Amino acid sequence: MGETALTGGRAPGSMLRPLLLLTLILLAAVALAVAIGATSVSWHDLVAGDETARTIVLRIRLPRAIAGVLIGAILAVAGVTFQTLLRNPLADPFILGVSGGAACGAAVASAFGLARIPGVVPVIAFAGAIGATLAVFLLARRRGHTDATRLLLSGLVLNALFSALILIAFGLAPQNDVNASLRWMIGTLAGATWNDALLLAVLFFAAIIALVFIANDLRLLAFGEDDARSRGVNVERVKLIGFGAASIITGAAVAVAGIIGFVGLLVPHLIRLMWRRDFRFLLPLCAIAGGALLVASDLVSRVIIAPAELPVGAFTALLGVPFFLSLLRRER
Amino acid sequence: MRLDVDNVSYAYADTPALRDVSLTINGGGSLVALAGPNGSGKSTLLKLIARVAAPTNGEVRLDQKRASDWPAKEYAKRVGYLPQDPDPAFPMRAIDVVVTGRAPFLRRFEFEKETDYAHAEEALAMCDASHLAERYLDEMSGGERKRIFLARVLAGSPRLILLDEPFASLDVAHVQQVSLLLRGIVDRTGATVIFASHDLNWAAAYSDRMLVMRSGTLARDAAPAEVMRKEVVRELFGFDAEIVERNGRQWLIPLQP
Repeated sequence: MGETALTGGRAPGSMLRPLLLLTLILLAAVALAVAIGATSVSWHDLVAGDETARTIVLRIRLPRAIAGVLIGAILAVAGVTFQTLLRNPLADPFILGVSGGAACGAAVASAFGLARIPGVVPVIAFAGAIGATLAVFLLARRRGHTDATRLLLSGLVLNALFSALILIAFGLAPQNDVNASLRWMIGTLAGATWNDALLLAVLFFAAIIALVFIANDLRLLAFGEDDARSRGVNVERVKLIGFGAASIITGAAVAVAGIIGFVGLLVPHLIRLMWRRDFRFLLPLCAIAGGALLVASDLVSRVIIAPAELPVGAFTALLGVPFFLSLLRRER
Repeated sequence: MRLDVDNVSYAYADTPALRDVSLTINGGGSLVALAGPNGSGKSTLLKLIARVAAPTNGEVRLDQKRASDWPAKEYAKRVGYLPQDPDPAFPMRAIDVVVTGRAPFLRRFEFEKETDYAHAEEALAMCDASHLAERYLDEMSGGERKRIFLARVLAGSPRLILLDEPFASLDVAHVQQVSLLLRGIVDRTGATVIFASHDLNWAAAYSDRMLVMRSGTLARDAAPAEVMRKEVVRELFGFDAEIVERNGRQWLIPLQP
């Protein structure tokens, strides 16, 4: 047996190349997102200290790009975590209804004027995301298995429920609060601030630490819970940490940008197609690729009909639906 | 290696699955068949021994120490378990599947080392599956997959190997192949294999000792030749059979009523 051929591509060192490649793509996407926009800003003006140029780049484009990187990373990480925990490649925070739960919490809170109190929206969004995750867990699982049909149906039903709740809240709310709460129905990075980026960054890195901590055990769950238990994995603890981390970061992403679908489906799928690795490899690769994808998508949706802009959620859905359909076809 | 199952009972919610099962396996190097009809408690017993579930009553001891008192990973290094239909949820290469058998030996943040891959390759070779190393599991036949999962268990060099229905859904040729492989494993590594099988003929033909389960209890613990007798089959399974002997092994042919 060809010893070197077999062992050469196996060591964790082989993660380095995809990691570098994706990081370069991410940096390029961020640079373009900062450089390009409806108003053209020259580097010369920026360096010369032109006030308008500085405002556009440092207070609008840069925080938006950073928030985009973090939200893309969050959605991809949440997606790959849900997929591993549920043993199902179709799991995605949007399809499962977790994003919907968070948006429902945020929209209802702002329909009743609570959004003006700082910190309320993210907290209620977390609660909505965790509630939706628990519901998915209870609805879609039977005897330690989540079959695709039950998973999709429970996501469908939950999303329908959340839409209904949001519409009811609109009906009851005063007009200007309705406009505020619409924000969470439409996925957009417009108006993202440095404060948003900070909130996302803190939660994202906390979640990454938690997920790295359980990564070696979590990847074994791909073989089923009994199998993982027989290998010495504390399955209950891994599930608690995994679902908890994925739900909370999804809540944070929705609290900032509303529902952006399919990133959590698309990115892990592409990474698996190209490198087919277990969770320990997917986690960093998906984070970087997710960030790059969302920033690039946001750039396209900002400039394609400039000076107006498309909601980036609409754009990611257009990208994601064909992938979802092809995955669904292959699902046995 | 010494395994004691001591008055073990287990219930799923309110449904009892095992009642007062006791047995001892002392020393390695034997092939033990866990026979009995579907639903007789074979899988449950294997899960309790594998520490996948804890008994409702009684205790499982490995080397005189209660299973629950062992650190989880230390126990997993000694006891390898193959569930009935393992299936990685995502496409994986055989070698990547097999090397996960080394998981109990890794520290929290550690990746598999070259030595772990060496163990995995050795296990693949033992299962006559080296040529499948780079293939994806979802492109393999049932018999090939079975060998990969056996190799995965072997990669951890456990002293006690628990296999849930290793022959299920295999054709006769593959049953032969896998059974020879099990014998080879036992002879070469000195490990003990306990395999569940609802097929009495396979259970008897390939074991040194038979544990026969019937509705949650251990009905017989004896050598295959003692179980494969007309009156025992009638008593345990309630049907008449003819027993044919070939090369020192007994085969059962059910008689038409």
